[in-house]
Amino acid sequence: MRVYSAIFAREARLAWAGGGGAAGPAAFFLAAITLAPLAIGPSGDLLAAVAPGILAFAALLSVLQSAERLFGDDFSDGTLDLYALTPVSLAGLSLAKVMGQASATLWPLPLIGIVGGLMYGLPPGASLVLGAALLAAIPALALTAGFAGALAAGIKRGGLLIALIATPMMVPVLIFAAGAGRSAFDGDERAVANLLLTLAISLGTTALMPFGIAAAVRGRLG
Amino acid sequence: MLSYFANPQRFDRLARIAIPVFGVLTLILLGAGVYMSFFASPPDYQQGDTVRIMYVHVPAAYMASALYAGLAGASFVYFVWRHAIADAAAAVIAPIGAVFTALALVTGSIWGKPMWGTWWEWDARMTSVLVLFLVYLGYMALRAALEDAQQAARAGAILAMAGVINLVIVKYSVEWWSSLHQPASVFRADGPTIDPSQLWPLGLMALGYTTLAGWLVFYRLRSRAIERRADALQRRNEERGRA
Repeated sequence: MRVYSAIFAREARLAWAGGGGAAGPAAFFLAAITLAPLAIGPSGDLLAAVAPGILAFAALLSVLQSAERLFGDDFSDGTLDLYALTPVSLAGLSLAKVMGQASATLWPLPLIGIVGGLMYGLPPGASLVLGAALLAAIPALALTAGFAGALAAGIKRGGLLIALIATPMMVPVLIFAAGAGRSAFDGDERAVANLLLTLAISLGTTALMPFGIAAAVRGRLG
Repeated sequence: MLSYFANPQRFDRLARIAIPVFGVLTLILLGAGVYMSFFASPPDYQQGDTVRIMYVHVPAAYMASALYAGLAGASFVYFVWRHAIADAAAAVIAPIGAVFTALALVTGSIWGKPMWGTWWEWDARMTSVLVLFLVYLGYMALRAALEDAQQAARAGAILAMAGVINLVIVKYSVEWWSSLHQPASVFRADGPTIDPSQLWPLGLMALGYTTLAGWLVFYRLRSRAIERRADALQRRNEERGRA
């Protein structure tokens, strides 16, 4: 257990110190949700209707944007080789690693999501539901991005490849996270169901994906 | 059985028989299927002649998922038993499956225009086939990006197996949206709801597509093996020339 928390802390510290911390994904998210209304047009009704979808989609993109760094650096400097040699479970290490980085870099996304929802004209209740859905979606998004990042670790210009691998796997969580915001905006009772399904997918991903990441890391180390 | 054919020479003998057998079967089945679909079967009482698109579309959609099952199965065999031929099969199946998926998407779109009045509708089945197409592309891109053959094989196998779980979840989650696509009408517990005059050409086409895929897979596997052997010979000759 101490190993896992040490890895978690190492990743969080590294992400804070070296990679600009939460600034990268947050700034990307902010830029994306600023540009979308300029493309869609200033009509208030339309913006409020598309807000949950645009915000959830932009959050997904900001998670992808930092996926290359997750395993790429540790792959090229040999840290992953050492991880694979330790007697501790590689799946547990991968989970701690991804979550460590996610907790340091992705925490502003739900907050910006709530503010963004209000800016797009969502009622405060629906904005809060959307923020909660984004928070619930983060483990699934981060672990899926981590899986794609582990498969593509060390590949030059692997960012595009990671996006291509990860997007099909992010379909369900995107549907339910955006669905929670949309049903909250429509005022029907399925908002809670969608929120719970988002959470369920995140929990399922947390349970299964670390083994996939560990297999991917082993596969890439040869 | 699996280990028996993991021997390259035995596999080569199997492929030498399988290629002409699948080839002849494909020509017969597809020939008969095309004739029945386009000339010998009656137009549908509702859809008219556009129903003939179905004979091209439905088998393509079936092959798209069947070949993904084959890809994942081969990946599993490679991942567990490390049979090189299973990996070669996975590598060979992926582009063939992607082409069938693209064919299903395009013919479905052409069929959708006269039937539903729209080229594309974001309904559950169409969306999941589109996601399947992306999964094929991602698999091929990953394999192409990894230069080391063994790493490409292992990473590809893991991705293909993860794709199975993902595709199942995607299928159920996109059904969250209301679906426009007609429900399954051939494989149902109470028997097919499709008329025999349409079931026959459809069945022939489905079998023809299957043997076509089998033909292509064996053909590509054998040419891949020959290519490898030629590369190895060339390398040996170069080394001898240097020494």
